[in-house]
Amino acid sequence: MGHDDYKEMIPAHALSALDASDEGALNEHLATCAECRRDVAEWEATAASLALGAKPMEPSPQVREKILTGIRSEEPSLAGRSLSEKSGFDVIPFGRTPRNLWNSLGSLGSIAAVILFAALIVGIVVLWQQNRRLRQENQLVQILSSPGARLKELKGTTEAPGASAKMVFDSTGRALLIASGLPRPPQGKEYQLWFIEPKRAPRPGKTFSTDSAGRGQLEERILEVDHEYSVFAITLEPAGGVKSPTGAIYLRSDL
Amino acid sequence: MARDEAALAELYDRYRVILFGLLMRILSNREEAEDVLQEVFLQVWRRAADFDANRGRPFTWLVTMTRSRGIDRLRTLAARERVAIAGARDESEAVSDAASDAFRSEQRGLVTSALAQLPDEQKRPLMLAYFDGLTQSEIAARLGAPLGTVKTRMRTGMMKLRELLAGKDASFGF
Repeated sequence: MGHDDYKEMIPAHALSALDASDEGALNEHLATCAECRRDVAEWEATAASLALGAKPMEPSPQVREKILTGIRSEEPSLAGRSLSEKSGFDVIPFGRTPRNLWNSLGSLGSIAAVILFAALIVGIVVLWQQNRRLRQENQLVQILSSPGARLKELKGTTEAPGASAKMVFDSTGRALLIASGLPRPPQGKEYQLWFIEPKRAPRPGKTFSTDSAGRGQLEERILEVDHEYSVFAITLEPAGGVKSPTGAIYLRSDL
Repeated sequence: MARDEAALAELYDRYRVILFGLLMRILSNREEAEDVLQEVFLQVWRRAADFDANRGRPFTWLVTMTRSRGIDRLRTLAARERVAIAGARDESEAVSDAASDAFRSEQRGLVTSALAQLPDEQKRPLMLAYFDGLTQSEIAARLGAPLGTVKTRMRTGMMKLRELLAGKDASFGF
């Protein structure tokens, strides 16, 4: 099947009407074709317009109350905080009156306390990062010393020619990905791991971000079939990950 | 009311009748539709950061998520239950265009007019896919038409729909 064949399948994909085999083949193609991924977004907008073909109806007032009660009971998440700031929704939130920090602190003693507190926080973060690095190095050694340990290399694509990564895994499926040279993801984006078996839809893995030096790590569990038959790829996706790849590939392994 | 809670409430107020109408069309059951609508907005709250303005409009994102959740729920309901519910379809509380500030009657008019211009043989597969969640093979079986014919009609129908709505894009910007 060629590029034009896949392109013709996209309107039905936007209606989620493709049969499983076609959907799998198209998803595999989408992982490598930016033009078709752009087409998907356009056709999804056309499909969404069909919603207006349904008669508008009023839900009961209790639904609104349940939703607002539901979000109040949840921890304030990054997603929640960014609802109006990053999503681009045309919703005007209630603004907050800026406060004068110095007036509210009131005294030099308070300022000193704040500085000490900030230093303490920085110290805790540095220790946490060191601890995390040590833990990951320990995991790496553990996996590499396990029976049947394997290593696959991922090379940077044209999106990140200087990037590289190593995926180590053992016979139990325990895996660790260590990447370097990746550009820092923009706000609201993360890198996501994909398992691409021949003739099947890419399976999503976990997401990760990078530090200021372009390094990122990810712990995963992988299936036995991935040991031999899967290509590993890293794409840039919305934070939290997606079910099918939508972004450009930054790293990929050979079969 | 906290800042983003107010934003979510406003989002709900603006789109609730469209999204609830969509869910009622899919599920034909008020209780199920309200439950899914609630799930959708809780998902919006948790996953707003996933929305990528470069990939499409908020309306598309919201509708796609709502429709997907609605179809998922539809598939979990027993077929016989749905048939029974569909028989007692309740449309008594449908909102007239003038009755809701939030609903954009103009955009709905454009879509219904565009759909009316599609031949039935193209429109029907689109409706079965979108509101009933059927795949192309299932649509072919339902209509008793060859699979290749269904694929062609769906593609042609979608292209025509896009063409009919394209000139109205500016007023479609939700």
